[in-house]
Amino acid sequence: MPVIEVSHLRKTYGERVVVDDVSFCVEEGEIFGVLGPNGAGKTTMVECVGGLRHPDRGTIRVAGMDPSSESAAFRETLGIQLQESRLPDKIRVGEALDLYASFYPDPRDPGDLMEHLGLTGQRSTYFSKLSGGQKQRLSVALALIGNPRVAILDELTTGLDPVARREVWGLLEGLREGGVTLLLVSHFMEEAERLCDRVIVIDRGRVIAADTPEALAAAVQADQRMTFVPSDRFDPAMAQMLQALPDVHTVTTDAGRVVVTGTDNVASAVIIALHEHGVSVGRLRVDQPSLDDAFVALTGDDAVDPVVGVDAAGTSQREA
Amino acid sequence: MATPGVRGAAGVLRLLPRLNPTAARAMLVSEGRLLVRNPGVVIWAAILPVAADIILGSIPGVRAPADALGGLSFFAVYQPILIFFGLTLLALNALPDVLTRYREMGVLKRLRTTPVSPALLLFAQLTLIFAVAVACMVVMIVVPGVVGGAWPRNLVGFLVSYLLGAWAILGLGMLIASLFHNAKVAAGFGSFLFFVLQFFAGLWWQRTNMPPWLRHISDVTPSGAAVQSLMDSSEGHWPTWLHLIVMAVWGIATTRLAIRLFSWE
Repeated sequence: MPVIEVSHLRKTYGERVVVDDVSFCVEEGEIFGVLGPNGAGKTTMVECVGGLRHPDRGTIRVAGMDPSSESAAFRETLGIQLQESRLPDKIRVGEALDLYASFYPDPRDPGDLMEHLGLTGQRSTYFSKLSGGQKQRLSVALALIGNPRVAILDELTTGLDPVARREVWGLLEGLREGGVTLLLVSHFMEEAERLCDRVIVIDRGRVIAADTPEALAAAVQADQRMTFVPSDRFDPAMAQMLQALPDVHTVTTDAGRVVVTGTDNVASAVIIALHEHGVSVGRLRVDQPSLDDAFVALTGDDAVDPVVGVDAAGTSQREA
Repeated sequence: MATPGVRGAAGVLRLLPRLNPTAARAMLVSEGRLLVRNPGVVIWAAILPVAADIILGSIPGVRAPADALGGLSFFAVYQPILIFFGLTLLALNALPDVLTRYREMGVLKRLRTTPVSPALLLFAQLTLIFAVAVACMVVMIVVPGVVGGAWPRNLVGFLVSYLLGAWAILGLGMLIASLFHNAKVAAGFGSFLFFVLQFFAGLWWQRTNMPPWLRHISDVTPSGAAVQSLMDSSEGHWPTWLHLIVMAVWGIATTRLAIRLFSWE
């Protein structure tokens, strides 16, 4: 029995279709990723799931409830960590958690949550004095204070430095063990690869892929790519020799480094062949096809040139 | 652009059942604490009228009847104006300032993701601002009264006038917070409206000295009606029905419009 069911969701702002015929299910206890380039409609989609926007078409059920009812029972079931939502400057961390705990019938203990999230030392710190990572962790804490079955986390590591990002990831892995179902919106493939059980990729409001991160990466059938620095001079004859190997597809050199692409066996084939010619490989690096490659392949080159209008529509609509 | 549930009366009213007394108290305590930690706007709004009132009320000559003011003393004319001055500054500057900033920061949207209504925050702010205004009003009556000035002779009429005037002017403040989503624009418009209302209240040109056509316009503004009602009550009369009705109509209209136009984000 899926805890989140979305079917044929459609949302438009005026003429612009922001979410178009999106369907997916999330099982209890999963970390489910929603990936896509900026402006793909991810936030609008999860805000529909969170009952903050009302879809034009389609149905959404979270634990069997319709989000647009915005019933208290729905709000107790679903915690939401919003993108770019701040607190008053002069509220202390402990005060904010106590306040939000008072909104729920069966909240988590604010002290436990602070400890779990590494915020105990900041209990008496003003919100304005927190670092970016601490603000994000507080934001996650506020989404979890009500002891929700499901939590939506929107771009929670955007703008964090790598250390803080890893802190938050560690925290989410802990949550999974606690049985909370997570809907994670991200445009970091590394994040999805590490955390998500399954992902959907959204581009221009449509679902263009849905699978496990590993399956998506494998499906693009990108070549393995190895780079190394040869121990001896690497002449064109050597390159031709490698190129002739059945596992090798391309051979290029770049500033003393050799880059070879090919099948799964390319690395061992190249190393053995070079060894027979008395050359060893240094600073070897082999890259698997990653979710990053899959993402680029799926969303195309213009993924870096997002449909700016989509998120801008959300913003201007708020300003209107 | 209307988005059901995000903007409009339905969006505000549908969440009303989610008012919860425990949460309301916690919110009031929290907002009160934030106000104490960040008292700038409120102190600024309160200090000028209170100081002016106390100083004027302490000077005997100012309390003597003056022919130029139709037999009223300078203080009798200015005390109601200053009381309403403080209330207006709080309602049109402090209230929209904090609400529009909370909206910009996403505080209201975040509250909407919880089982309680973000309207709790509006109630907490209205309560606090009103409480500060009442405290100022009490000081502005008691201190001059103790040092020898006049007390309002019709206290019931005075309080009714004050409450209706407060409703009308706080409604206007809420309406500004609903109309403008940018805190700076809201502050600018609030200041503009403040000076317009002070003009009609008679801050620069006393109502008794206004030409009749201007006084008629002043009669139907919330500030003109409130100041005249407070003045009538101070003198021991009852406020006129016209002024009471004018204030009530402003209160009803601004409240309804503010609820209809308010949005959480």
